[in-house]
Amino acid sequence: MKIENHITTILQLYEFSMAIGKSLDYKESCDMFLKLILKRKNFNAAWILEKEDSMMLSTYAIPIGKSIQLKFDTNLKVDLNSIEDFKYFEYSNDFDTLSPIGIDKGHIAVFNLKEQGYLFLFSKKDNITIEDLSQLQPVIDKFTMSLKACKAFKQQQSLLNNLEVRNQELSDYAHMVSHDLKSPLRSIDTLTTWLRDDYSDKFDNNGKEQIKLIRNSVEKMDTLINGILEYSTINKNQIETYDVNLNTVIDAILNSIQVPEHITIIKNELPVIHGDKYRLQQLFQNLIVNAIAYNDKTQGEIEIGMKDAGVFWEFFVKDNGKGIEAVYFDKIFKTFESLESNVNSTGIGLSIVKKIVDLYKGNIWLTSEIGQGTTFYFTLKK
Amino acid sequence: MLITTTHIDDIVASISNHIKEDSALLSIGEHTEIDIEQLIKALNIAEVKFIGGLFPKVIHGNTILEKGIVVNTLNHVEELYVVNNISLQNYTIPQINFEKDEGYSLFTYVDGLTSNISHYLSELYENYGMQTNYFGGGAGSLTLEQKPCVICNEGFFQDAAVVCVMRMHSRIGVRHGWSKVKGPFIVTKAEGNVIKEINWKNPFEVYKKVVEAHSNKVFTDDNFFDIAKGYPFGIVKDNAECIVRDPLMVNDKGELICVGELEDNTLVDILNGNEETLINAAQRAAEESVNQATHPRKAIIIDCISRILFLEDNFEKELDAITKTISNAYPNISIGGALTLGEISSYGEGYLDFYNKTVVVGLFE
Repeated sequence: MKIENHITTILQLYEFSMAIGKSLDYKESCDMFLKLILKRKNFNAAWILEKEDSMMLSTYAIPIGKSIQLKFDTNLKVDLNSIEDFKYFEYSNDFDTLSPIGIDKGHIAVFNLKEQGYLFLFSKKDNITIEDLSQLQPVIDKFTMSLKACKAFKQQQSLLNNLEVRNQELSDYAHMVSHDLKSPLRSIDTLTTWLRDDYSDKFDNNGKEQIKLIRNSVEKMDTLINGILEYSTINKNQIETYDVNLNTVIDAILNSIQVPEHITIIKNELPVIHGDKYRLQQLFQNLIVNAIAYNDKTQGEIEIGMKDAGVFWEFFVKDNGKGIEAVYFDKIFKTFESLESNVNSTGIGLSIVKKIVDLYKGNIWLTSEIGQGTTFYFTLKK
Repeated sequence: MLITTTHIDDIVASISNHIKEDSALLSIGEHTEIDIEQLIKALNIAEVKFIGGLFPKVIHGNTILEKGIVVNTLNHVEELYVVNNISLQNYTIPQINFEKDEGYSLFTYVDGLTSNISHYLSELYENYGMQTNYFGGGAGSLTLEQKPCVICNEGFFQDAAVVCVMRMHSRIGVRHGWSKVKGPFIVTKAEGNVIKEINWKNPFEVYKKVVEAHSNKVFTDDNFFDIAKGYPFGIVKDNAECIVRDPLMVNDKGELICVGELEDNTLVDILNGNEETLINAAQRAAEESVNQATHPRKAIIIDCISRILFLEDNFEKELDAITKTISNAYPNISIGGALTLGEISSYGEGYLDFYNKTVVVGLFE
């Protein structure tokens, strides 16, 4: 063979190999590679048969033809098991059951694609040579790997889809249950109010205390249900963003919550960021309310601030409260994980905070010292 | 049959009389002074089934015409249809029940200036495979301005193809006569019909170096096509002539705009030909079809318009070589066709492809 022909052969193999792996879709991947082989080699057809349990199934064919489904063992007249890498055949009617298209004469090359089945290349003309096939072998090996990747990708997509469906179902379920729980809770609240008001002269102190405990529990449960509702409505697929001035957001929070007189809140200048005002208010409010609730100092202090961290803003909410033990640093962001029994603590506030930060592709973490206070840090994209 | 009158009623009457109960293939010269929409309406009223296209020039016998309608009868039609939105790849190819021991021929005219023609041909082959022969060409104007150019009973379309599947044997010869000057080169980057890189370099620089050295001519600002029409690219194939791609112009980035698409990493040679090689090739295409045929009823020639631009007055010799070869073997058959923007055929029954600068001769039995 002349050196020029060698170069052409090598470059053609380069062309074939570059057509592999351009797509993770099985059919598209086969189309790109096998149609090119047919065009350049002047072949007429290509198809893949794959083993599934004891059956042989056609998974791709160009031209499309009929689909193949046959038992691997006894029905096969061509001994595919004996093909280690590839084999060349003259057409015989043994191939009739193995071919999706009607052929009556010609030449067939079969490549063993291992777990991916068998690739059949068909030409009406006598233009398939053993030399061609052995040159194609490494490229076919690469193609086999790409088919494996396509299947893995499809499997991954399917898992992700299932996960998405399950998440949605869970979210819908939480939403529905929360709504359903609210109604009996309202009844309990009303009935205990009537009991307290209408029968106050009949209850002794113990009875009155128990009524108070019931009402506290109802209030806690109401807060918890509201939390679950909030949590389930934070949806990654439904995020609207616009410019939000965080200074205005903090002012609105401080006007809407009750800050005890012994607690001072220091607000540093905050930026305007791109986000959803309602979610951002939830995020800051939950952290501020927590900082107030767990402050045991006579002169409580809460500071809100930020620093520029490149593509992110890094915010902090710092308090001089009780502090949190390091072993709870991860646990506190998990739903329904509350560190102590508190009528105002539902264990969902920080989960909501984390979900909102995740929604904005940020991070949240904390530093804390028992007795000295806690600082929550979180980042939001600029 | 050639129709030169411009009176719609006369045209329709002539077509009806010629084809009788069959369908018509209409190849219309782009300068024919008729209202195409009116013609379609009149043919529909007369219940004439047809497909067709507008071309820079049409062929009747051994004459080339800018005006006139060449009519071929389409016998034993199984299916006539139009495929819209070729460029968007948004269409479905109708299913046809091919009978096992019958011969079939598929004829198609496609808007030669639309994109994704290769995808359209690939879809045809994917659906019909080896059950039919394929034959056809690209319609459109020599101005290279894309506009409606294919017709059928449904209307006058651009970015579309019209198709006729016939239960009929056909014998096809395909040749171009261009041969390698230098190569192979790798088209390392391409987008549609634009070559953006050859061997990872500016494509015009690579092309220019080879062509100027071979032709002893120098590219200037305004002579690209004058030189390039003699130096097309050839997509390298095994066991067959290469597929020609015609460089039409160079843009200000030095990218080469071709008729017909190329894909990334396509292997190409730079080709050249002369009067003799082209005419010989045309004759061989005719011989190929004649040698396979037994009792043909008509011949259709699909010849690339760029061959006439290259051969100029000598193109008559090419057409003579084809028509004489056919007439010598089959003196009484009609010869018609068109000078097209791209040619369509399955090369020696292989995978279906879109060619440039090529002659396709089909004898229909």
